[in-house]
Amino acid sequence: MTDEVLRTENLARAFGGLQAVAGVSLSLYAGKVTALVGPNGAGKTTTFNLITGNLRADSGAAQIRGKPIMGLKPWQVARLGVARSFQDLRLFTHMTVRENVLAATETASWFWQPGGGAARRAREDRAARALEATGLAALANARAVDLAYAERKFLSMARILAAEADIWLLDEPASGLDLASRLRFGELLRGATARGVAICLIEHNLDVVTELSDRIAFLDQGKVLAEGDPQTILRDPALAAIYFGDRPQEAA
Amino acid sequence: MIAYAANLATIVAIFGILAATLNFVVGFAGIFSVAHAVFFGLGAYAGAQVALHIVPDALLACVVAAVVAGGLSLCLALPALRVRGEYFVAASLGLQMMATTLFSEAKAFTGGIGGLVAIPRPTLFGVEVSVLPLALVALALILFATALLQRGAFGRTLQALRDAESAAEALGKNVAAAKTLAMLFACAGAGIAGALFALHLSFVNVESFTMDQSVLVMAMVIIGGTGTLWGPIIGAIILLSLPAGLAFVPFIPATEVGAVQQIIYGLAMTLLMIFRPAGLVGDLSKGRATA
Repeated sequence: MTDEVLRTENLARAFGGLQAVAGVSLSLYAGKVTALVGPNGAGKTTTFNLITGNLRADSGAAQIRGKPIMGLKPWQVARLGVARSFQDLRLFTHMTVRENVLAATETASWFWQPGGGAARRAREDRAARALEATGLAALANARAVDLAYAERKFLSMARILAAEADIWLLDEPASGLDLASRLRFGELLRGATARGVAICLIEHNLDVVTELSDRIAFLDQGKVLAEGDPQTILRDPALAAIYFGDRPQEAA
Repeated sequence: MIAYAANLATIVAIFGILAATLNFVVGFAGIFSVAHAVFFGLGAYAGAQVALHIVPDALLACVVAAVVAGGLSLCLALPALRVRGEYFVAASLGLQMMATTLFSEAKAFTGGIGGLVAIPRPTLFGVEVSVLPLALVALALILFATALLQRGAFGRTLQALRDAESAAEALGKNVAAAKTLAMLFACAGAGIAGALFALHLSFVNVESFTMDQSVLVMAMVIIGGTGTLWGPIIGAIILLSLPAGLAFVPFIPATEVGAVQQIIYGLAMTLLMIFRPAGLVGDLSKGRATA
C-alpha cells in the first residue's frame, strides 16, 4: 500500500474490569481515509485517546513515521502532525470563529510566537484559507457559542485545517449534518487526501463511510475483527449482525 | 482631607494591581486561585527587607519583590497546576492556609505576628518619593502589559485552555507551560503590589495577607467583571471606597460600619450574579452565555 504514516501495535487499555481496547493494531496511510466502524462501546474513541496521549495504554505501541509516541503528552503528539476532532467538538466557545482558527496556528506557549510579523501574517493567511474552505469566512467575527450546529462542526474542521497536520483523527465529524453539509464535508476530506493527509474517521453513518473511506477497520469489544475495503466489510453478514446488535450467542 | 484622599488613592492603585493580575489568571486562563494574597505578602516582606537592610529604593524593592513572588509562584504553583477546576481552588486554598502560618512563624523574614516595622520612606534614585505616583505608574504598566498579552497569541492560548483545555492541547499547546507563565506574570505583579504596600504603610504583618484578603481581591475581580481590562480596577475602587463612604453616613454608628459593609458586599454580589453575571464592566451577553 502507500506510505504508512501511523501504526499501532496491540494497543490495550482497561478501565477497572472493562477491557475497552484489547490489542488494536492499525495502520494509517498518506492520502487514504480509514474508517473505524463498530457498535457503541467497541473502543473506537478510546483508541483515538490512546494514540493522542489523552489516555495511557496499559500495553502496546504506536509510532508516527517510525517514531514511538507512547508516553508523549497530547500537545507533543499534536506537534508531530496529528490533529483530532472531538464528538462534543470542544470549541473555544467564547472566542470568535477567527480566533478559534488563529489559535490553532499558534502552538508556542511563550508570551509571543516566534518568527515576527512575517510569521504572524502567514498564520493569519492560513486561518483565512481555513475559514474560506469551510465556508465560515462570513462568520469570522461571530462567537463560536452563537453558531448553528453545522457551523460548529465546520469550525472544528477549520481548526484542523489551519493546524496543517498531516494525520487527522476525526470522531463522528459528519453526525447530524444535512446532505448539503455532508457533501461539503466530503469535499474537504477529498481535498485533504489529495494533499497526502492520512485520515482516520469514526463514523456511524454507513452511507458516509461508503462514500468517503478507502478502508474500513471493524472494531468490536476492543478488537479489530476485520480490515479491508468498504464493500467487502459492509457486505459481511457476520459483521452486519454485530453492528446492528444481532450478536451471535457464544457457545455455552 | 487631601492626605486621606491620597492614602485612599494609593491603596486603590495597589489593590488595582492585585485585582488586575488576579484577573489575568481567573478571567483569561480560568485558573481560580484563592491564594493571591500569598504572593502579595511575599512581595511585601521582600520589599520591606530590601528597604530595611539594603536601601529603601522603590524600584529595587519592586524588582526584588517581583522576582521573589514570581519565583516562588513557580515552586509552589507547578504541582498545583497539574490539577484542574475545583481541585485547583482547593489546592490554592491549602497554599493560602499554609502560607498564613508560615508568615506568622518565619520571624527572621516576616517578623512573625508583630510584622516588620519602621520600614523607611521610599526613595527613587536617592530622592524621597510618595508611593502614589509609583503605584499609578505600576498599575498603568501592568494594564498595558495585560492588554498587549490579552490581544495577542498568548491571550488566545489562555482563553483557549479556559474554554476547552483538551482541545487546546490537541492543537499542540503546552497547557502547563502557558498556565505557569500566566501564574508567573500574575504573581510577579502581586509581588510588586506588595512591595508598594509595605513602602506605603511603613509596616506590614500577616493580617494583610490572609484568606480574607484573597477573597476581597477575588470579589473585586468578579464585581468589576472577569476577563475585562478595566473591570478589576472598577471593582477595587468600589470595594475600597465603600468603607470610606460608609464612615461618613451619619445614621450608621461607627461600631456598625463593618457589619453594614459585609451586608452590602453580600447583597451586591448576589444581585450582580442575578442581573449582571459578567460583572459591572463585563459583556452581558457573554455572562448569560456562560451561565
